[in-house]
Amino acid sequence: MSEKCIVCPCEDVTLADVEQAIGLGYLDIDEVKRFTGLGTGPCQGKLCMVVTCQLLQKVQAADPSRRDRQPESQKEPHPFTPRPPVVPVSLYVLAAGKGADRER
Amino acid sequence: MDKPDSPLSSAERSGDEPFQIEFEGRAMPARHGDTVASALIAAGVQVLSRSLKFHRPRTVFCLSGSCGSCLLRIDGRPNTRSCQVRAEPGLRCARQNAWPSADYDLLSAADAMFPIGMDHHTLFTSPRPLNRLMQKMVHQIGGLGRLPDEDTAAEGAPSAVCKHVDILVIGAGPAGLAAATAAAHKLRGKGRVLLLESQSEVGGSYLCHPELGRAEARAALQRAEDEGVEVLVATAAFGFYGEDRHREQPSEQRGLIGAASEKVLYKLSAERYIYATGGAPQNLLFVDNDRPGVLSGRAVGRLLACHGIRIGERPLVVGNDEFAESLTAALRRSGQTVMTIDGERERLVRALGGTWVEGAEICDDKGLRRTVSCDLIVIAIPPAAASELLVQLGASVELRQPGGFVVKADEHGRTAQQHVFVCGEVSGTMATLAAAAAGARVGKCVAVELVEQRRAKASQPAPG
Amino acid sequence: MSASGRMPAAAHRLASEAETVIIGGGIMGLGIAYELARRGRSDVHVLEQEYLTSGASGRNGGGVRMQWSTELNIRLMQESMEICRDFASELGINVWLRQGGYLFLIRGQAELAQLERSVALQNRCGVPTRILTPQEALRIVPELNPKSFVAACYNPRDGVVFPWPFLWGYAHAASELGVQIHTYTKVTAIDVLGPNRFVVHTSKGPIRCERVINAAGAWSPAIAKLVGVELPNHPHRHEILATESLKPFLKPLVSVLSSGLYFSQSMRGEIVGGITVPDHDDGQVHLGSRLRFLEDMAADLLSVMPVLSQVRVLRQWAGPYDVSPDGLPILGEHPALPGFYLVCGFVGYGFMMAPVIARYYAELLCGGSRHPVFDRCRLSRFADGTSERELMLIG
Ligand SMILES: Cc1cc2nc3c(=O)[nH]c(=O)nc-3n(C[C@H](O)[C@H](O)[C@H](O)COP(=O)(O)OP(=O)(O)OC[C@H]3O[C@@H](n4cnc5c(N)ncnc54)[C@H](O)[C@@H]3O)c2cc1C
Ligand code: FES
Repeated sequence: MSEKCIVCPCEDVTLADVEQAIGLGYLDIDEVKRFTGLGTGPCQGKLCMVVTCQLLQKVQAADPSRRDRQPESQKEPHPFTPRPPVVPVSLYVLAAGKGADRER
Repeated sequence: MDKPDSPLSSAERSGDEPFQIEFEGRAMPARHGDTVASALIAAGVQVLSRSLKFHRPRTVFCLSGSCGSCLLRIDGRPNTRSCQVRAEPGLRCARQNAWPSADYDLLSAADAMFPIGMDHHTLFTSPRPLNRLMQKMVHQIGGLGRLPDEDTAAEGAPSAVCKHVDILVIGAGPAGLAAATAAAHKLRGKGRVLLLESQSEVGGSYLCHPELGRAEARAALQRAEDEGVEVLVATAAFGFYGEDRHREQPSEQRGLIGAASEKVLYKLSAERYIYATGGAPQNLLFVDNDRPGVLSGRAVGRLLACHGIRIGERPLVVGNDEFAESLTAALRRSGQTVMTIDGERERLVRALGGTWVEGAEICDDKGLRRTVSCDLIVIAIPPAAASELLVQLGASVELRQPGGFVVKADEHGRTAQQHVFVCGEVSGTMATLAAAAAGARVGKCVAVELVEQRRAKASQPAPG
Repeated sequence: MSASGRMPAAAHRLASEAETVIIGGGIMGLGIAYELARRGRSDVHVLEQEYLTSGASGRNGGGVRMQWSTELNIRLMQESMEICRDFASELGINVWLRQGGYLFLIRGQAELAQLERSVALQNRCGVPTRILTPQEALRIVPELNPKSFVAACYNPRDGVVFPWPFLWGYAHAASELGVQIHTYTKVTAIDVLGPNRFVVHTSKGPIRCERVINAAGAWSPAIAKLVGVELPNHPHRHEILATESLKPFLKPLVSVLSSGLYFSQSMRGEIVGGITVPDHDDGQVHLGSRLRFLEDMAADLLSVMPVLSQVRVLRQWAGPYDVSPDGLPILGEHPALPGFYLVCGFVGYGFMMAPVIARYYAELLCGGSRHPVFDRCRLSRFADGTSERELMLIG
């Protein structure tokens, strides 16, 4: 195993990948998610999102000018949009919903 | 695998007669109460999966369905969380995404080829022919599991069920069980309380707690059922859908919870909602933090408390809260030599070892580094609030360290959203018993309010 | 793109003046900015209310095809495909183009007759589309349920891309050439001082310019209102999902025109696809996800490919289609407002069109040749009654 500090195990995104995105000016969790792909695998961010938000918070605290780039709404740490389904659901079960939604 | 020096050793495993499951063509012992993951760990399987890009070896981390590092092909279904599937006689499972095998995966060459990480954006963008070749190769080795077996498509018809209840409690951990019980007690049979649990057994963090464990989970379930709470296990609330409605819902209400079991789609709504969704175990950032043998405290606690499985002889526990302490004590009682660091004054910087953890490099607050030998690294830090459904319905959250994106609520668990309440870890109450106490308080308060509202409505003069 | 390159999202302060202001940091806005800068016109500011990829350009299915019912679209897409093929080497960022083809499944005879005409036109333009029997289609995608369709049409050269890197590629390259890209900068008002004289007000202050390009996609009617212009296009929510990742098995993007179903397998192995679901079109952009979409999508997808039954959905999201009345875009300078330019109304295929449209748009703005698309897609066509519909729209 080569030495790596893994931020997102599902997509194999490393700390170096996240730092590169930050270096390019992507400071918001939504940007970092998309640029690195973290949080898009089987766990949908349950393991990587909070730790990344904390990293971003530190970067902003260390360099307030970066913080000023963000409008008010983005200054507070916020999660990326939690897309449903929050746990994976099979197509088979979802298909049952079409038309047949009667109480039994 | 199954080497004599395997760091995995199973302590006395309670339970009845063992049976067998099939793992890559070989028979593996399992016991009643095992999940596929716990059975394989007890049998000494070190590598459960290979990671997506680098094919790094992985094993379980959370053991509660939230991390996705235990995906196996189970009975013809790819990408199945093996920690969430009960072991049953004859069940077939196999690892995925490895060639020729998960134990010796040649594709892990990718790990050495990209020592820092893979900048997939700039990877061989030119010259053109090389770019095309690279894309072809990446495409061919990409992806996780193979398509499901054909016969999995034909199995029985799924169904859809709509329910409108008085109080819907999501999450049957200490907080949710207590909330549902207290609410049902107050309603005294004059209202439906429905409790959902995504895992195949109720209990949540009780199940990871070395002193409470399954016994407490079962006792709490009994109390809930005695009060008439309806409980659906292995049924995960997967989304709050603000625009959808279902047939059983009062016409003035919109928004429903979608929930799914293996065979049933539920559309659920309620007069009041109590979210007790708990939290997801978190890892720390250090080099090779994904090496097999780095497990969450909850996973280690659960293996011990529910499955009688003890991993290794010399664990290193990282963490400094009440749970970390009781876990450390329990591991010591089980006969292990436990080292501890708090994770703050002394931090982990590296997990050492081959496929499995053999040691750790630690750094103290003066920057001094030392190496310890251990055969398990236990990350016993608080989980991050599972607030996804709440964010979907518009609740506001704040980032706490520890705690993750915790939902803002008053002492009665009331959020800014009408009819939405929270308790337990999702609202920042971390300790197990405190979460149960908070749940009882919130459950009672919600039921009282509902009863009062109804009384007020009934006493209003009829219009006209 | 190089890691050392200028940041697209760097902390520039908004300048007080620029030649061109582009509203919208989607693929249209960024593509035009890059093409302008490449022609030496880099006094351009791109204003994006959120982050890059936040609009339709970050939410789409990444389909790129040459199968269309109008010659204009067929020809444009032949050129756009070539640009996509070279994008990685030109802009230094991978866009993961995979030419696995598009396979349209046909469910009824009337539909077949119409598609036969489109295929004949495509063949005349040099696109090798073929009509297939269900048995022939099964040779390309063995997992299809042959009972779910009566015929198919297939062009092996169509394909799919990963959309996001197009935006970063254009953005990074444009910034290196001097374009300023301002994210989290929302346009709130526009003053028209006279011909070619505007002040664009934003959440970060005002900026004067000679030219405003409305590249705000589904938000373009709202931007046009700021200068008192009514546009005939309107936003329509389009939902989409991705499943967990599977080993590669599906070559083409498969689509059923009659239900609006489409799905393909991404480079990472996910099945990505959507279907048309009715919505209340109230002129607003709605990005909420609905359970109803998952149900309709799952049911139709499984009717076409039952073996996916036990595959799980990982996430769903929505993006805005930008629907024009005849299915063709709205391009060029507004006839009554010199300096106010439109590039909108691309329904559900603006992503694939952007590379070629951005080129011709920059040509036009730099006083070069005027591609016929600007006449065909001018705003006044709706008033003249000279519009011809594009029929091969998904959704
Ligand atoms: C689900 C879905 C699937 C699709 N599938 C495909 C496909 O397979 N192939 C294909 O070619 N196309 C597809 N499309 C269509 C394609 O995504 C769009 O046509 C294309 O992305 C439009 O690009 P754009 O730059 O015009 O718009 P956008 O990408 O939407 O960019 C407009 C930008 O303007 C910004 N903006 C809006 N108002 C303001 C303001 N006041 N101030 C500042 N900025 C503002 C927005 O935030 C947005 O980022 C799909 C679309 C959707 C929604
Ligand atoms: S999901 Fe099974 S170990 Fe985390």
